[in-house]
Amino acid sequence: MKTFIAFLKKEWTEQIRTGCVTILGIIFVMFGIMNPAIAKLTPWMMDLLSDSLAESGMIVTPVEVNALTSWTQFYKNIPIALIIFVLILCGTLTSECQKGTLVSVLTKGLSRAKVICAKLTSLMLLWTSCYWICYAVTYAYNVYFWDNSIANSLGIASLAYYLFGLWVISLIILCSSFSSANTGVLLGTGGACVIAYLLSMIPKMQLYTPMRLTESMPLLTGVIKPGDVVWATAVTALLIGANTVIAVLVFNKRKI
Amino acid sequence: MDILQISHLKKSFGERGVLRDLSFSVPEHTVFGFVGQNGAGKTTTMKIILGLLEKDGGDVSVCGENICYGQTTTNRYIGYLPDVPEFYTFMTPLEYLHFCGEISGMDKRKTDKRSKELLTMVGLSEEKRRINGFSRGMKQRLGIAQALLNEPKLLICDEPTSALDPVGRKEILDILVAAKDRTTVVFSTHILSDVERICDEIAFLHEGEIVLHGTINEVKQRHKSTGFELEIENVGDAAKITNAFPFAKPLSASHFLFDSDESVDDVMRLLMESHIPFLRLEKREPSLESLFLEVIGK
Repeated sequence: MKTFIAFLKKEWTEQIRTGCVTILGIIFVMFGIMNPAIAKLTPWMMDLLSDSLAESGMIVTPVEVNALTSWTQFYKNIPIALIIFVLILCGTLTSECQKGTLVSVLTKGLSRAKVICAKLTSLMLLWTSCYWICYAVTYAYNVYFWDNSIANSLGIASLAYYLFGLWVISLIILCSSFSSANTGVLLGTGGACVIAYLLSMIPKMQLYTPMRLTESMPLLTGVIKPGDVVWATAVTALLIGANTVIAVLVFNKRKI
Repeated sequence: MDILQISHLKKSFGERGVLRDLSFSVPEHTVFGFVGQNGAGKTTTMKIILGLLEKDGGDVSVCGENICYGQTTTNRYIGYLPDVPEFYTFMTPLEYLHFCGEISGMDKRKTDKRSKELLTMVGLSEEKRRINGFSRGMKQRLGIAQALLNEPKLLICDEPTSALDPVGRKEILDILVAAKDRTTVVFSTHILSDVERICDEIAFLHEGEIVLHGTINEVKQRHKSTGFELEIENVGDAAKITNAFPFAKPLSASHFLFDSDESVDDVMRLLMESHIPFLRLEKREPSLESLFLEVIGK
């Protein structure tokens, strides 16, 4: 455990000193502010454009915005934030293998399983911080401007997307154990998401794929109930576990 | 006691057999030179010992324990210096050594004491900046410090001096010699002067096998080449030599090589009788370089 924590500490130091935390912090806070800001500015922008739109024969009716408008923006923007997160951190393991920094670490007796677990934990903690900071900023502005109670199952919807993010992170680690290049990690992670998306189009599979966890707006508007994401939650949790175990097994046999 | 034992080690990459039947052992407290051409399989052997590569056959044991690919518990006995050591460049040397101590499971106080000692030994105790701006030589010295941190019984260095300038090379070799009292050093190289300077034992690796193994003196004795060299003072006397000994190979206008010791008396007689002034008449000692070229058949 001591050696695991030592490697985890190294990961945190690296993320802080290489500016990764700062960049991601700025991006997620910015997204957090943008969600209510766009909602708030929508009526003003529509009003501004109404004259020119009227000239082309379009009539702009008054737009009513509320917390739900802001949450709509949140769930539109968070996939972009997640993609940025993946792009910035997809090289966490591959770059260490390429540069050879892991050689000294492994020849000091640190087990490969601990390297995988520490990398996974560090990415998950970073995602946890970034996601909930973004969520908290949007939540706080929504409380200030409107009323969050208009949204159904707000907590469940946010937890579901958070879990989806953890699944994507486990994919980064899984693909890193196979691939020696960042492009391989990106293709693998993206490919797995596309497969999950295609599976979610099959009606019988819809309830069980991780993609179900991204259907936040139907949850917020009450179209689907929290009970409808239980299976997807269980399957995703299992997949995270399976990805981690496979990553450890593959990495144990990998040439360094 | 042998710290490292390798017997009948085999490794191929696809169709290409790199190690065919490699066997040798390294006794405790020696500096062992592992010599071979580029691509001979030195790094492959070292990576197998460290559990970073899977062997195709044979046995490798460190301190009496067999190595195991992937989960190498024997690495607790080993310190490793790669040919191009790479570090976490966002750390300072002291931070890096502390990190190495932590992942090796060393006591914090001991790590701190040992890190400072080693940084002093390798001349980096005053470096407070991050590793990012370090030169190749500085990285190599830090590499030795990290390899010696957990007081390993076996220090493996992969071509530690190959890319260094003469000053850097001397520093690294001095550190390795100093480390000999506390550990056993195995270092691979193709720089034969380094081997001659610090090694107690050597093994020549060629085409996946050990073609020559022993102490430097043993190896030289075993392959003692016969013959002698003659260097005369005046070039004008060269004709007298070549006329009397047509088989003498001229190395330069005034420098001759005799392949056999048999004619040494005759040569001395000629020098005396013909009053030929000479600079040197010397029995040939085989250099490691000539031995190496001889065993690899070039």
